[in-house]
Amino acid sequence: MRWLRRVWRRAAGVRGGARQRQEFTAELESHIQMQAEDNLRLGMSPGEARRAAVLKFGSIASTQESVRDQMGLPGLESFLKDIHYALRGMRKSPGFTTVMVLTLALGIGANTAIFSLVNQILLHPRGISHPERLVVVRTKYDKLNLKSINNSPPTFADARDSRAVFEHAGAMRRLDVNYTGGDVPQSLHGAAVSAEWFDVFGAKPILGRVFAAEEDQPNADRVTVLAHSAWVRIFGADPGVVGRTIELNQVPYRIIGVMGSGFEWPAPVDLWAPLALPARAFNAGNRFNENLTVVARRRPDVPFAQANAWLKVLTDRVLNAGTPGAASAKNADWGLFGVPFIDFSAGATKVPVLILLGAVGLVLLIACSNSAGLMLARTSARAQEMAVRAALGASRQRLIWQTLTESLLLAIAGALVGLALAYGATFLLLRLAPEDAVAGLEASLNTYVLLFTAAAAIVSGIASGIAPAWQLARIDAHDTLKGGGRASTAGPARQRLRSTLVIAETALALMLLVGAGLLLRAFTQLENVNPGFESRGVMTAMFSLPAKQYPDGIKQAVFYREVLERVARTKGVTAAAIGIGIPFSQYAEAGGFTIEGRTPAPGEATPHADRRYVTPDYFAALTITLKQGRVFTEEDSLETEHVVMIDENLARQYWPGEDPLGKRISLWEGPCRIVGITGHVLGSDLAADSGKGVVYFSLFQEKRAFPVASIVAKTSGKTAGMTAAIREAVRAADPSQPVHDFKTLDEMVSNSLASRRLVTQLLGFFAVTALFMAALGLYGVISYSVTLRTREIGIRIALGAKPESVLLGVLSQGLRLTAVGVAAGLVGSLSINRALASQLFKVGTFDPLIFASMAAALLVAALLASYIPARRALRVDPLTALRSE
Amino acid sequence: MKKKTDVWQGTLALMVLKTLAVLGPQHGYGIARRIERTSENLLSINHGTLYPVLLKLEQEGSIASEWGVSDNNRKAKFYRITKTGRKQLEAEQRGWQQASDIMGRFFALRGAEE
Repeated sequence: MRWLRRVWRRAAGVRGGARQRQEFTAELESHIQMQAEDNLRLGMSPGEARRAAVLKFGSIASTQESVRDQMGLPGLESFLKDIHYALRGMRKSPGFTTVMVLTLALGIGANTAIFSLVNQILLHPRGISHPERLVVVRTKYDKLNLKSINNSPPTFADARDSRAVFEHAGAMRRLDVNYTGGDVPQSLHGAAVSAEWFDVFGAKPILGRVFAAEEDQPNADRVTVLAHSAWVRIFGADPGVVGRTIELNQVPYRIIGVMGSGFEWPAPVDLWAPLALPARAFNAGNRFNENLTVVARRRPDVPFAQANAWLKVLTDRVLNAGTPGAASAKNADWGLFGVPFIDFSAGATKVPVLILLGAVGLVLLIACSNSAGLMLARTSARAQEMAVRAALGASRQRLIWQTLTESLLLAIAGALVGLALAYGATFLLLRLAPEDAVAGLEASLNTYVLLFTAAAAIVSGIASGIAPAWQLARIDAHDTLKGGGRASTAGPARQRLRSTLVIAETALALMLLVGAGLLLRAFTQLENVNPGFESRGVMTAMFSLPAKQYPDGIKQAVFYREVLERVARTKGVTAAAIGIGIPFSQYAEAGGFTIEGRTPAPGEATPHADRRYVTPDYFAALTITLKQGRVFTEEDSLETEHVVMIDENLARQYWPGEDPLGKRISLWEGPCRIVGITGHVLGSDLAADSGKGVVYFSLFQEKRAFPVASIVAKTSGKTAGMTAAIREAVRAADPSQPVHDFKTLDEMVSNSLASRRLVTQLLGFFAVTALFMAALGLYGVISYSVTLRTREIGIRIALGAKPESVLLGVLSQGLRLTAVGVAAGLVGSLSINRALASQLFKVGTFDPLIFASMAAALLVAALLASYIPARRALRVDPLTALRSE
Repeated sequence: MKKKTDVWQGTLALMVLKTLAVLGPQHGYGIARRIERTSENLLSINHGTLYPVLLKLEQEGSIASEWGVSDNNRKAKFYRITKTGRKQLEAEQRGWQQASDIMGRFFALRGAEE
């Protein structure tokens, strides 16, 4: 370890070098003096004494040199010198520095911003320890086209009791509640969770505690844990909040803890309460009543595949254990499987985020080639200076190191500016993005992100410096000096390298442009999709009637009628209705049914349909076409025959070639007669339609109470005053009920496209940036080549060359480079566009129109970029040009 | 045979350490004089060669230095051995002892044959 201490001391000595050297000179002087004094004492004359002392000492110069060499670290010192030199160079050419720093800042900043999202969504979700060990247990009914749904309480119990596979397992159900403690009643996002929920995620409270097992019982006192953001928003971060009792859905709950700021799952969430399932929920008969989200933590020694295999074992056990309903479940291909938590929670954002990451990677590549081009140009300009330094004995290595130091410094400056850009951009992005898509995300630059940025800076620093450094290594000092710097600057090799960089930039830019073009085209296609209803002029709002005051459908119907009557009277409203499961509301309910007079063949899956509950005017309010029969009326009541309407998809699926009107189906509400057939309505996604059939029920024939419902009001056009009108109508019907989520149906449809829109816009932005950078790179090369050819052009003009031919010559040089880049980019596009496939809609990955138009855009940009230097070439005055030699 | 022996750095470092261990704090000149005297002037060094050795030892933490005043009131830098230095001295002294013992036995062997 002695050498380590020595290196440390030497490194420490680098700074105080001058003082140390002075001290050493003083020490030598005192040594010689002492020797001289001793010599005097021996009887020498003063002059002789001094001379003998110096002689005895040996060479002062060589001692000083060898001590000096040992004092600091020569490598470190020359590195510091390089930095100093680079900084001076940067100050001396502010234009170059600014362009370099901005280019790299854009590249690194974009990467940092997108990486901070990737990190939060896909790598390190906040507040969760070891997210890679979390598994979401899902259920599928393959034959019913149910690919991934929730689990039943018995399945949750199975996962919880599989201690050899899962350390912890928790179950969750959404529980949105009305909170009446504030100034106005408000609706809070809640989640009912089993006792182990927080252990599953390794999430810790910052105040109080989380649920004990005995609190997760049906008759236990009601307790709740607040989410950090809700604690700040609603309770002003009051540390005394623990122990307080608040009213949720008019039931008192005691606050027992506040979660740490990171953990908010299921996002968005304001509070958690115990799930408190009664013992009968775990009966075998409840096996296929799937309404819980189950998340489990794998033991560290159990790989994902093994956990998944265990779920398969559980599946077989359920199907073969004589569970009630197992036979029909088997027919529907029922089964349990695991999904890695991050895939589940990232859901649909995963692919777009990765696409963006790829895109910013390309942007950074372009930025690096651009800055490499700039550095090359600068190296050319300084070739003579470098040659002089080489001639004076600077080693080639030193010169190369110096170039790299310079590019690294520029990259670090770029990274610092980029960090600021990234922070601002992420902040803005989270503001602009749809709330649902970014719930729980924040614009934070944490250690992972900073490390990523540092790595990006180093990589781009080296990437932009390597080409010029390589060029430097080949500088021939002799030739350069002889040619007055010109011979080397015109070096075809360097110009070829820059041209190659420009070609690469053009290719990358085209790839981004094509990607953005494809997404844009897919997006326009989506906007033109007919969802099966008319969203224009429809206002919607949500409310949740607590079970305490509205225990059944009859009570709720009274409330509905009162509200609807008032809303319908509002000026401009043409139809008003209540709907449960309105399009794009994320609410979904589905169930099986049997068709009267038909016995399913053995092995055939039970018929299955989505369910919607509506009041009669619903179809008018949403302009849903009635294909056959009639819609519900006020006459359909609890006293009359139970009727349902179905949509055309269900009719086609179960009554092919038959008329379903008047047929009876049996659901768990009992037998119902089909009285009407409507058009199909897209449920939640314009791009993907499950195609699943729908059964509509009249809310006025429902005995059961629903926790949430939507109001839809069709207006003649203006939805502006509707918020107040609906609020007033609800207040008049029951002042204690909050109304929330006021949205026009247009907004809801548009929100469903928001993450696509965002990705499309971002990719578009990156593509335009890329186009701009590529044009800038081309401009640099052409402009430089014009400068080099000033003399040649001068001679040609003097000899009578037509201006057009000079212009054409320069333009064609630019176009040639671009054409090669475009060709390379087309090939590149074809190979990477597969990654976009899942985001495209009715657009192939090879769309000739997009390819052609983007290539054209690049060529136009190239023309512009070469036109500016070409004009300069035209203005060359032959006399000046010739004299300048 | 009164030829003055050249001194190489490693040995010089050991001599410096031993000198400081025996005499206590000394300035560079004092150390040089002492080494010459101990070797009974068999060993004559260019005093300048001492300083790189002192710097190296100091950087390694075997010796420490501070400015002080010499016997005849001259400002000089005084070196003293540190705990690390003593350990190093002990270890190297043992090594040297062993080496010279072995060599001594070889030379004795040769003498008996003649």
